Amino acid sequence: MPIQVKLYGDLRKIAQQHNYSKGAPNIFNINDIGIKSVRDILKKIGIEESETSHIFVNRAYSGFRKKVKDGDRVAIFPRNMALLYKWYFKKVEDHDE
Amino acid sequence: MPKKIIRVNMNKLEANYEDLPEKYQALGGRGLTSTIVADEVPPTCHPLGPNNKIVLAPGIVTGTNAPSSGRISVGGKSPLTGGIKEANAGTDFGQKLGRLRIGAIIIEGQSEGKDYYLLKITNDGAELKNANKWVGKGLYEVYKDLRKEFGEKISICGVGIAAELRGGNSGLSFNDPEGLPSRYAGRGGLGAVMASRGLKFIIVDDTGAPGVEIKNAELFKTGIAKLVKALGDHDVTKPGGALNTYGTAVLINIINESGGLPQRNFSRGQDDRSSKVSGEEKAEEIKKRGGARPHACHPGCVIQCSEVWTKPGGKDPVGVLEYESVWALGPNCEIYDLDTIGELNRAINDLGMDTIETGDTIAVAMEGGLIEFGDGKGAIKLLEEIRKKTPTGRILVNGTEFTGKAFGVTRIPTVKGQSMPAYDPRAIKGIGVTYATSPMGADHTAGYAIATEIMGVGGTADRLDPKKAELSRNLQVATAVVDSTGYCLFIAFAILDIVEGLQGVVDSVNGVLGANLTLDDIPTIGMQVIETEMKFNKAAGFTSLDDRLPEFMKEEKFPPDNEVFNVSDEELDSVFKF
Repeated sequence: MPIQVKLYGDLRKIAQQHNYSKGAPNIFNINDIGIKSVRDILKKIGIEESETSHIFVNRAYSGFRKKVKDGDRVAIFPRNMALLYKWYFKKVEDHDE
Repeated sequence: MPKKIIRVNMNKLEANYEDLPEKYQALGGRGLTSTIVADEVPPTCHPLGPNNKIVLAPGIVTGTNAPSSGRISVGGKSPLTGGIKEANAGTDFGQKLGRLRIGAIIIEGQSEGKDYYLLKITNDGAELKNANKWVGKGLYEVYKDLRKEFGEKISICGVGIAAELRGGNSGLSFNDPEGLPSRYAGRGGLGAVMASRGLKFIIVDDTGAPGVEIKNAELFKTGIAKLVKALGDHDVTKPGGALNTYGTAVLINIINESGGLPQRNFSRGQDDRSSKVSGEEKAEEIKKRGGARPHACHPGCVIQCSEVWTKPGGKDPVGVLEYESVWALGPNCEIYDLDTIGELNRAINDLGMDTIETGDTIAVAMEGGLIEFGDGKGAIKLLEEIRKKTPTGRILVNGTEFTGKAFGVTRIPTVKGQSMPAYDPRAIKGIGVTYATSPMGADHTAGYAIATEIMGVGGTADRLDPKKAELSRNLQVATAVVDSTGYCLFIAFAILDIVEGLQGVVDSVNGVLGANLTLDDIPTIGMQVIETEMKFNKAAGFTSLDDRLPEFMKEEKFPPDNEVFNVSDEELDSVFKF
């Protein structure tokens, strides 16, 4: 099962530029054995980390190093949708290997 | 010249001015309404009987050119919760009172007979006029009429048909800059308290007003400069930031992704159809239709999270569709259509109700089988029952808990009789602690918006961690302070991260009052407000057993996290120990 990526707000445009868009413009699947973390997904679709704000991996508020696997749902919000307080949702983070 | 209180005696149909007593002079907004209610209203009185009062108070800096500071607080004993209530709104109404140097309006007593009145306030004084010709009419039409009769420059506070029915779900409506009845001190049924005095409207014209007295103009100026800079610099509050670009409904997709956006009367926390009613979709539609976005709810707001939603072609302007309203009338009722939500929101504003309470009521009515989930047309018809004042309408207008009981529903999402907003406490425990323990009943704003950092609390706050008493307490205390200043709660986003901005708030308050408050005084001031409110509730009969979430939230797992509300009673009871 691939990783489902959901891009919100202005990040949709980037997905469209990269032809990942299938069906709804902001949802697409990634099948790539090279992808191990949120950071890898951002690299693959050409989004700078500084362009993002909230990231959820299976509903958990996550950081760039959060590991991902097949079947995960990864939601990425752009910087101009930043709203949650940093202290309220602690980011789930894994360490670089 | 000290500020004044306008005391309106509805038995005698008189409005008299009094000097604001010394003990109230450093208070404003919620701090002042709650203190006056606690001092003057017997806690055991019937909320709609002769002894309750309605108190309106602008914040301390409201009426000055401090940014985003046009808040008005309304207080009284709530017919919905049976406890003390403060509800506030952003509107130029409060700014005009501030400039007229009116610290508070106290409406007391009850007029004889069935006549309704309008209170007109100008720089020359206050007088009551008969308002019977506007009874039974929708507020959109009435607000137009009032501006025609009293001039475009007036600000309006009004209660609608829901309040005529004495509904526990009836708010006080205020005008937005377009004159639409879309800015609400909605929660807790204070509209019915005002209507039960015999008062339908308050209009205010500040022509010739002296302006807010600022005791230390230099300090005030320095303070607001710091705050303006912080609001302009911060990602959330700056032009082009989240609130400015998308409005509060930016949260729809975010909270849905976190698994905490209640769907189908709080039965699950995520549904991809929610994207159809998101802030992004709404902003795009408004642009197409020629509504307004961004938009200020009062002059001088630099955040500008508001908007004017319309039907296609720019018809039937509604005003703002807030996150909470979109959620309550949308996903919570399984209605994933912005036009239906807009139509419902307009009907609710027109009737003079609270959108959160109404959406929760409709969802509970759907659960009880009155109509099906997802039936938007049916939901609109239910609101017409209220307009026609039918027996069904009279059930619905009394809110979620009343409606749940009437239709045999056990999944009733209320605390102290007030229904929950758009975050499920099983998925986001800290907000659940606030719902449970706030003296206001289930209220997200009561403990949502000030950083743990400034209150000296460690920042660990996993949303599923049930240890949240300290977090909720500090938020509630800090919120009570913001609600008293007259600043919009959303300045908190910026002043959390930018300490100069917070100092700017304190400087501006000191500037107006001629006081020497420091950052360290914030917790004490907030605690005093909450202590006053809790003392009232205790005397009204509340105990710690009222600080609990409904049973189903401890029993029913909430997908997709499949969590229950597992915060212990001891943890809840440790939030406020006075």
